Amino acid sequence: MRLRDFTAGAAFALALPASAAEFNASLIVAPQVLTDNRASPYTVGPPTVPAHNRDSRQDLELRLREGGFNAQGTLRWQAAQGAKPEQHGISNQFYYDGELGGGVGYSVGKKVMSWGVGYGFRPLDIVQRENRRGVNLPALVGLPLLAVENFSAEEAWTLAWVRPGEGGGTDDSHDSSLAFHWYRLAGADDLHAVARLSHRRGIEAGAGFTRVIGEEWSFHGAALYQRDYRKTLSTLAESGGLFAAADPRAEFVRHNGVKAVAGAQWTGESGWSLLAEGWYDADAYSRAEWQRLDDLTARQRALAGLVPDSAIAGNVAWSSQAYLATNLLRENLMLRLAYDDRDGFKPYAELLTTPKDGGRVFTLGAAYEGNRQRVSFGLRQLGGAADSAYARAPIRRLLWADWRLAMF
Amino acid sequence: MSKNQINHGEHGAKRISRRRLSVSSVVNTLLLSVSLVQPAHAADNVAALLKQADAFRLPAESVRVETLVELYKNDALDKERLYTVYVKPGRRSLVLMKSPSEIGQKVLMLADQFWLLMPESQRPLRITASQKLLGEASTGDIANMTWSEDYDGKIVGEVDCPLPPAVLPELAAPARARRCLHLDLAQARVGVTYARVELYLEKANKIPVKADLYVGSGKRAKEAWYAPKSVEGQPRIMTMLLLDDIQPNRRTVIRYRSIVAKEAPDEFFNPAALVRNSLSGW
Repeated sequence: MRLRDFTAGAAFALALPASAAEFNASLIVAPQVLTDNRASPYTVGPPTVPAHNRDSRQDLELRLREGGFNAQGTLRWQAAQGAKPEQHGISNQFYYDGELGGGVGYSVGKKVMSWGVGYGFRPLDIVQRENRRGVNLPALVGLPLLAVENFSAEEAWTLAWVRPGEGGGTDDSHDSSLAFHWYRLAGADDLHAVARLSHRRGIEAGAGFTRVIGEEWSFHGAALYQRDYRKTLSTLAESGGLFAAADPRAEFVRHNGVKAVAGAQWTGESGWSLLAEGWYDADAYSRAEWQRLDDLTARQRALAGLVPDSAIAGNVAWSSQAYLATNLLRENLMLRLAYDDRDGFKPYAELLTTPKDGGRVFTLGAAYEGNRQRVSFGLRQLGGAADSAYARAPIRRLLWADWRLAMF
Repeated sequence: MSKNQINHGEHGAKRISRRRLSVSSVVNTLLLSVSLVQPAHAADNVAALLKQADAFRLPAESVRVETLVELYKNDALDKERLYTVYVKPGRRSLVLMKSPSEIGQKVLMLADQFWLLMPESQRPLRITASQKLLGEASTGDIANMTWSEDYDGKIVGEVDCPLPPAVLPELAAPARARRCLHLDLAQARVGVTYARVELYLEKANKIPVKADLYVGSGKRAKEAWYAPKSVEGQPRIMTMLLLDDIQPNRRTVIRYRSIVAKEAPDEFFNPAALVRNSLSGW
């Protein structure tokens, strides 16, 4: 399906008169090395979980703009330790922005539509749910939508029908929905309001702002109310039981959820900047939910030698899927110190903490931008209090690099 | 009017530009001569001088400017960047990055408010004036092409025009000595790129010659030199050289490849509209 989309986009690009179109291509090589946390109760080795600790993603990213037409595609070749290399094409975006006059426009096609406020977490991203905490991430893949937009000098709104014609999907990105975004520029404030009606989550509504004070400070905040929210939990941990023969995780529907973010950023004329941000994510596990999962894993591990190793490894591997969540705990605090030398070199240090359990994630990174090349690299270390979710994660350390060449 | 090309010789724009220049030249000459004996009117005179100097850089109120920025490091060309800048009255500017490594990035400036759009996230990000200064080529240097709306000041005196450094052929020292008006300007509004500017205008015609650019801490950040060129018989500033005091091994050459009268619709200057591709063809 994705390859078919990509091929259609490429055929469209070739059909356009070359002189009229804006066409760009970039080559990206993004290797990373993971270090296992051998002390983690959630670490499961081969054969249950293959060891893919080293991998590299090679992308040829193509972008085309012609009038209101936009197409973005990726040809990917991916190699991982112990796995057969694979290649495929991805259609990231393929849409048309049309104008109806009087500031009214429309979009149709597959498009990235981000509405959020915040850096580490964006509760208002109700259409494009982007993982803001990942590193070395590939280009976003848009969602099929039909949208009507209205723009005046200080106000704008968008009404989008996302995944038109589809019903409730297996996850949020596959859930058909009707979404609305309102924006107003009010003096020093950017004001946002959003609403979404979907099969999976019912009604969601939220608002946010960004305020700039003076020349160096900006403040932002946003909150989203969810009539229904869903959380994938282990039925063994929540309802009792010790082992399962099939994946025991199930989606639980909760009501009246809240996602919120608040932060402040200072940037000095020296090039230094400091960001402090805190957020709450009802979709993430609470401390008590982690403790129940930890208890289950400990009870399973304690039976080593009494039950087959494969049963223990399989059940722990299912539980370890909890680490795939964007936020491991509901409450998060982040500090980020960055520098821009105005010559293309941008190092940064970032600390994420989860105050409820004392977990910490420390990230050091840097990027350098040349004429056509951009190199970024970094190290992320997980740790904190011994019984925290981050300290018990199956991964202890992540080392990554990203080399990008803008070909034309 | 909106589609006339100032530097490509379409007649309407040229007529308007010449008329405006000739009228303002007379007015400013009169105002300047009065200013030397009546200090009470100095502020008015400076405003008029700045408007006259602005006309050499931005010959219409609403324009589209194609800009090539060359970044030199230790006298060797290090990077090149291409920008398309839309300027509208009311201190509104929209900068579109066109170089392959920056394509899709946009910076919107509405008076003292700024937004950045990175193509990866498709989300306009509100930024502060300090963040606008970051990056290799400050978007403020590229998008702010006038002084009269942003600065007040005084005439410090009349001096020999400073001699340009011998790094650009366009900036060759003139055969005869010229006299310059030395202006000391302070920011009149928040959000301007530089808090203070020492500006040298050639006395005879008010063409900008040099500016010393100071940041909020009082430190001189850059030294700007302006190279005039005759376009359709009118002198225009088509090249600007920036020497960096903070990183003295760097220099930036900003070349205005074309300045075309264009009046983009107001809704294009809405931060939320940055995600759209509406400016194709403008």
